[in-house]
Order: sequence, then structure tokens, then C-alpha cells
Amino acid sequence: MNGAGPLLEIRNLTIRYREDDRRITAVRDISFSLKLGGSLAIVGESGSGKSSVAGAILDFLGPAAEVTGAILFEGQDLAALAPAQRRRILGRRIGAVFQDPFTSLNPALRIGRQIAEPMVQHLGLRPAEALGRAEAALQEMGIDRAAEVARAFPHQLSGGMKQRALIAAALACEPPLLILDEPTTALDVTVEAQILRLLSRLRRDKGITLLFISHNLGVVRRLCDEVAVMYASQLVELGGVDRVLEHPAHPYSKGLLASRPPLAAASRGSRLAAIGGQMPTIAKPDTGCVFAPRCPFQEPRCNAGPQSLTMTPDGRPVRCWKSDSLGSWPYQLVMPSVAPVFRRGDALINATELSKIFEGRGGLIGWRLSVARGRPRLHRQPRRVAAVSDVSFSISPGEVLGLVGESGCGKSTLGRLLLQLLRQSGGSVEFDGADLARLPAQALSPFRKQAQIVFQNVGSSLNPRLSVGEALERPLALFSLAKPRDRIRRVEALLEMVRLPAAHRNRFPHQLSGGERQRVAIARALATEPRFVVCDEPVSALDVSVQATIINLLADLRDKFGLSYLFISHDLAVVAQLSDRIAVMYRGRICEIGTAAEVLAPPYHPYTRILLASAVDDDQAPEPTAGRLAGAAQAGCVFAARCPHKLGSLCDTQPPPLRAASASHTIACHLDTFPVSLPCVSVDRAAVGTG
Amino acid sequence: MVARLTDLTVATIVRRRSRLPASLIVGGALVLILLTIAALAQWIAPYPYDQMHIRDRFLPPGLHYLAGTDEYGRDVFSRLLFGSQLSLALGVTATLISMGIGVPLGLIAGYRRGVTDELIMRTLELMMAFPPIMLVLLILAVTPPSLMKTAIAIGVLAVAPIARVTRSVTLDLMSGEFIEAARARGERLGYMLMRELLPNVWPVLMVEASLRVVFAVLLGAVLSFLGFGVQPPAADWGLMISNGRAFVDTAPWISLAPGIALSITVIAVSLLGDGLREVLDPRLGSGR
Repeated sequence: MNGAGPLLEIRNLTIRYREDDRRITAVRDISFSLKLGGSLAIVGESGSGKSSVAGAILDFLGPAAEVTGAILFEGQDLAALAPAQRRRILGRRIGAVFQDPFTSLNPALRIGRQIAEPMVQHLGLRPAEALGRAEAALQEMGIDRAAEVARAFPHQLSGGMKQRALIAAALACEPPLLILDEPTTALDVTVEAQILRLLSRLRRDKGITLLFISHNLGVVRRLCDEVAVMYASQLVELGGVDRVLEHPAHPYSKGLLASRPPLAAASRGSRLAAIGGQMPTIAKPDTGCVFAPRCPFQEPRCNAGPQSLTMTPDGRPVRCWKSDSLGSWPYQLVMPSVAPVFRRGDALINATELSKIFEGRGGLIGWRLSVARGRPRLHRQPRRVAAVSDVSFSISPGEVLGLVGESGCGKSTLGRLLLQLLRQSGGSVEFDGADLARLPAQALSPFRKQAQIVFQNVGSSLNPRLSVGEALERPLALFSLAKPRDRIRRVEALLEMVRLPAAHRNRFPHQLSGGERQRVAIARALATEPRFVVCDEPVSALDVSVQATIINLLADLRDKFGLSYLFISHDLAVVAQLSDRIAVMYRGRICEIGTAAEVLAPPYHPYTRILLASAVDDDQAPEPTAGRLAGAAQAGCVFAARCPHKLGSLCDTQPPPLRAASASHTIACHLDTFPVSLPCVSVDRAAVGTG
Repeated sequence: MVARLTDLTVATIVRRRSRLPASLIVGGALVLILLTIAALAQWIAPYPYDQMHIRDRFLPPGLHYLAGTDEYGRDVFSRLLFGSQLSLALGVTATLISMGIGVPLGLIAGYRRGVTDELIMRTLELMMAFPPIMLVLLILAVTPPSLMKTAIAIGVLAVAPIARVTRSVTLDLMSGEFIEAARARGERLGYMLMRELLPNVWPVLMVEASLRVVFAVLLGAVLSFLGFGVQPPAADWGLMISNGRAFVDTAPWISLAPGIALSITVIAVSLLGDGLREVLDPRLGSGR
């Protein structure tokens, strides 16, 4: 290995995919280099080509991809090597970790073996020796009971543990370079913070070089020195992470940073800065700047010809000819005088001591055969999971209640209970003063019209066999909201309301982008003219720039029709942007509820504090201990097992009292004084810089 | 997987014509030819199927009798043409019957789950536990045979596999959020099954149905061969093979001709099914 040169150098990398008779360029003429011990992030939205770069280095793009240019690793061109030689380098000298820890591990093999395998293959170790090293590697990843975990199967581990095991496997042969493709995207924020901390420790202690691929600028800031921004197959900006995030030069970088909501309560009138339009699927850079159609600074010269990389005064390459003279990204802020003032009134929807217990598998599978005192016995073994326990709150007309929590905390179940898509096991839901559980099935129809839902998964929220027009006409026909001959006009009005062209009526879901599908789903929910909408992670599956436009749309519709939302998300910043009040949920219980400003500021429930700290990566935040393994139904506080401020047996045995921090702010905790004194979160644009 | 599978509309299939699999083209063309021949048998057959030429018994294939004659001097080629009507009618009718019962059962079982599901599926499994021939023979042996009854017997036999396929695709679809959106609107059972679920199950069923036609034609031939299906003097391929058996060493064409016709039909429909699966299943095509 030569010490002076870069560890990895990409020169004029271009990747084309052959599809049918067309060629699609996924990566266009990209060059960058990475020093030993350095860390570079490639940032971009889905379809920008960022993952193809990693794929080209790791050689798994398959025969349909045409790769040109040089990939120099330790001075050797990987693309020119014979497959066998290349494979030897890939296993030993370059490690890789991918997005989805849930499918990256072989479910039939024990964890230890999967980590030991590369050592047997590449280092020629004996299996027993490799297993011993695997345990040591797991320990190094911060896993306490490494021997136990090494003997476990993947399904027995949580997502964070799996990702740690995968990092251990990638680092098994001690490669100098680690390629990470969205390693924390599938994980909860608190787990993400732990993984990021682990990675930066590995960088520090072992001098590992990182190539990090992500869509999340906040994550990139915590881990990397340099960042390369990609848009529509091109590199648009490259530079030091602080420079790019504080003073982005390219309009796209500016827009990306500005469209990320800040972690702060937003006023009713405020809207996010958004990038209009969408990324072209087939960019034609020869005819002009690929970003020009979405760029607020666009002028005729931008479309005159291909954009080349120019240097900013501080020596950063940027693909914009006028980056020096640009201002900040324009905000479209609604004036506070125009925005309606919201006052809490009588409850529109009222949940009282709501609980949902899921019983284990029903039918014949639920039966178990056991042998007791020599006699076989058939018995039912109910597996009961309390998804929601004892939750009470109300939502007024026109109010948005944000519901935050990690995956599996029961927030989606709660949303479905409110809509009576699931029957509660206990408690009641009142809508407009009527107890929904007592209504006969036929009388539920008026309620169904008034309460609707928008989902997370843009892939499956629309029936693939129905056109947009058919999907939107159905609610109109079902509730007789328009005469048959008026329906087309109403459908077009609905499309206009969500800012889609009327011609989209004839399209099918697969012909729409993710953001467009979500708009149609919102239009479908609003077609029944509801008063209350459950938004179940409506922006989580969308790219940052699209996220902002959907959040703004939801805010506009709320103000226009006086809608009430239950806005469910795992992302505190997104919830804060839209919510009047926020409820924080942990393992089926609400641990804190109050106005958005109150929840985001001290006093905090200990769990809220950890969530906030994880979102901004407060290094002094106490590391929450693994919560997944903590036993079944507890008598005490559900958060006790992970709580850094636990008071001892009291928290384990007594349910926490509801303490009123103010008239509108309630915290369920045994602590007399909430952790105010601890380092608290800066509430301004914490995750990102302004444009 | 299913969501992607169902993304493929007819329009996209047509657009991908450049890469239509050969099996689909060959199989489709063959099936089309067979159907045309069956439909036009009355007009293109040189002789009626039951006309006996006493002096021309056991003639080998030649100019007068393209596929030779049988023991009564009947023209084997003409009988072959008329026989295609019966065989194909049997295959298609039986498949329609099994789809007509199996698809709704599968949809309801997958949509309702729970007790309904268990009740439907366990009953169908009970039927599957019988050897298929036994079940059909049981139905046919106790009552006088007829084509319709044979079709029903064979059709009922295929209800269970069709229902199982329908149910498993439905279960996959049920996790889709568009189903939950429909429930949030309070849609009725009929709309859910017919509009939300059925169009998405359809591509998979098309493939399954083409395979079921093959089974039905074969089983029909077996039944005729055993004497429980179509009765003489009617021309049915299975029956013709059965009758020719006695003269295999002296006049092999009597059995051979319908045997070849049956093989071609089975191969054609199988090719069509294979081709359909290739086009409808994105995993076998180029992944998008």
C-alpha cells in the first residue's frame, strides 16, 4: 500500500443500464478521491445514482450495467482486474453494509457463523478460531453478551443488533475501507444515534475509511468530513461537510437543506421551503442544467448548454455557473395575519382509556401439545400483546395532534382504533359526542364519511388496477356526493386541490411518482369531505424535497377546510412542523402530551429527551439500554428498563403518576423534577443549517 | 411482489412486444388454430364422424382417408376433427366450472380469514385427500354418463387448487393499504371482492387456468378411455385411443392419430401458460 496516494479514487465513472433497447445513464462522469482515514458521504435523493456508485465499486451491478472510467483502490484499477482477483480484494480490503438489516442476514445461520465466514474464506482461519474472533468483534461493536448473540439466529435480534452484527461481519477481515449504503435508514432514531456513535468510534480508534451513502444530511454531518451531492446522475457539489452544509453553493443543495423541517414548534402560518417539481427520470444534461426546471434562480443561460463543474472561491467544485451570486433559498411563508388563528374548542374525537390487546395466533395453530406427568395434553397458548394500553386524549375541530414514537410503539394501532378499523379491547372512542362502539354497523357509515386515513406506503396505498379517476370517483359514488355526470368535474377539482394536473385522472398508480401517489391518496381521503384525518406516516417514504411539499399541502388543506389530523410519525421534526399538540408514545402508553412548544422544551419526560437528543446527536445524551428484551407486561413504568433516571424499584412496581407541568402539558413519570438540568437541545434549526 | 406483478397491464405487455417469449407466440398460435378447427369441424371434415365405410375398414393413411380408417371404416381424420370439439369443450367447461366455484371461495377465505377461512379451506382439503380418479368415478359410476356431467366432475376436482391459489394471492393483497383505505370508507363485501381484489388476482389466475385446461383434457381422455366419459359412437380422443387399442399391432393409426392430437393440444396450452407466466411475472422478465 502506498501511503501518499488516496485509498480510493474514482475517475470519470459513468454507469449505464441497458433496458430494452434504451440505455439509461445512472451515473455520469463522476470523479472523487478518498484519503486513508477520511470519510466521504454521497448524498442524494432516490434515483440520483448514489447507490450505483457503491455498486460499481463492489462489482454487483450485474451484466445489464456498463461501467466505464477507473476505480482505483490502493492504486489498482478494480475494473481492470480479473473477477477472481477482484473478489479477493472485495472481501478482504473493502467491507460493505447495506440499508436493510432485516434481510441482509441469512435467517437460517447463526450470527457468529455469518461473521466468521469471511475470515475463513479470506484469512484462511480455522472455523473455531474464526468463531472466537467473531465473538470478540461483536464485543467491539458494543454488544454486551457477545457469546450469546453469536449463538443466536437473526430473528432473535433487534434491528440495531443486526446492523451491529453486519458491521462486525464487514469489518471481520479488518479492511481499510468500509462502504455503507444507508445503514441507518431502516432504524429508529435512538438506534440510529447508537449506530452512528459506533461508527465514529470505529473511525477514531481503528482509522477506518468510510464511504457513506445517504439521503439524510443530518446523519452525514455527524459522521463525515466531506460530502458529495448528487442530482439526476451528476455530481453537483463536492466539499468539506461544514462548508457544504453551512454555505451550500449549488441551488439543489440549498433547497435540500432548506426543505428539511427544523426541530422546533412551527407557527400555524409557517410553511417549509420546498423544491417544486420532481427529479427527471432521464436527465439530458447536454441541453442545459439538469436542475433548471426546479430551480428558483433559473434563467435562460442555464438552458444554453451542458453545465460543467466550476470552482467556488473557497475551492469547491460546483455544477452551477452562477453559484457565487446566489442568495438563500426562497421561503414561501404565509403571513401570520392571513393564517387562521386556532383555538381549542370542544372535542371532535375523544379517546378514553383506550386499549388494544392482540391475541396470539388463532385457529388450529394456536393449539400446543405438551406432555405433563406422562400424559399428552392439548392446550391453547394465548400470546397476548398489549399494543395500546389505557390511552386518553381528545382532538378539537381544526386541531392537529402529533403522535411520535419508535416503530412498534403502537401508534399506528392507535390511529386504526380511532377509525374503528380495529376494535378496541377496552375504553371508548367518541366522535362528535357519539360512542362509536355502541353504534350499530349501519350507523357507522356517516362516521366513515367524516373520518378518513392517509397511509405511509405510497407503493400499496392505491389499487394498482384502478386509474386515478376511478379511485377518486368511488368515494363520491359511495356517499352520493356528486351526480354521475358531475363526477368527472369533481375528480378534476380534487386533483387540482392536491396540485396535480387534471389529465392525471387517466393514469394508473405505476405511472406516478411517489409524491404524486401520496397526493392522490390525500385527494381520495378528502373526497368524502371528512372532518378528521389520520395521517399515518404520510411522508416517511418520500424524499426530503417531496416531503416538504406534502407537509405544506397538508397544512394548506388543514387551514382551508378546518380539518383535524392525528399526525403519526417517528420523526419529531416533521411532527413539530404540523402539530398544535404532540403526544409521545412508548410501548403502548402516552408518556408525555402537551402543546408542540411544551413538549419540545424542558421539562421533558426522560424518553422525550432521549428522542430529542438522538435526533440532534447530543453526545452527552445517556445511552438508552436495550429495551427490546425487557420482559412482558410490567406493573410499573413501561420505560423503566431504558430510563437513565430510574429511581429504583418504585419505577418497576408502581405505574407512573400523571404530573401536570402546565395546564396543557402532562408527563407520566415518577420523577419530581424532570431532567431539565441536563444538557438540553438547542431548539433552532438543529439538524441542518439554513440555506 | 404482487403489487409489482399487477402493475403489468395489457398495455405494458403489448408495449414489450419486442421481447414476447417464443412460447407465448407458438402456444398462442397453436391454441388459436385448434380452436378454429374445432369451431369449423362440421365444414372442413371430409366425412361425418359416424359414417361407416364397410369396404374401407382398417385402411392406412392415404389420399382418401388422410389419417386412415378404423374398424368400422370410419374416417379417423374426420373423427379427430369432431373429437377436438368434445375435448376442448370439456377442458374449457371444466375449467370455467372450477374457476366459477374456486375463485369466489378463495377470495372470501382470504378476505374474511378466521373461521370462514378455516371452514372453506379445511373442506377443500378434505376433497383433495381423495384420489382424483376415485372421486370422478364415484360421481360418474352412480349416474348415467354425459359430457356435462363429466365436465362438472372434473371441474369440481380442480376447485381446491384454484381456491388455494386465489386465497394465497388475496392474502398477499390484504396487506396492501388500499384495502384498508376501502375499509375506512366502509365498502361492502361485494365491492371489496369484485373491484379491489379480483382485478389484482386475475393475472395469476389466467396462468393457473391455462394449466387447468390441460389437466381437464387429459382427465377427460382418461375417463373416456375407461368408458365413463363420452359414449360411442361419439368421437372423443380418449375414446378413440381406447377403441384403437385392440388393433394397435395391425392398424396403429387408429390410436396414434388421436394420441398425437392430444399431445399437440397439451403442448400448445402448456406453452401458452408458460408464456403467460413469463410475461406476467416480472421476476422472470427484466426487473424494473
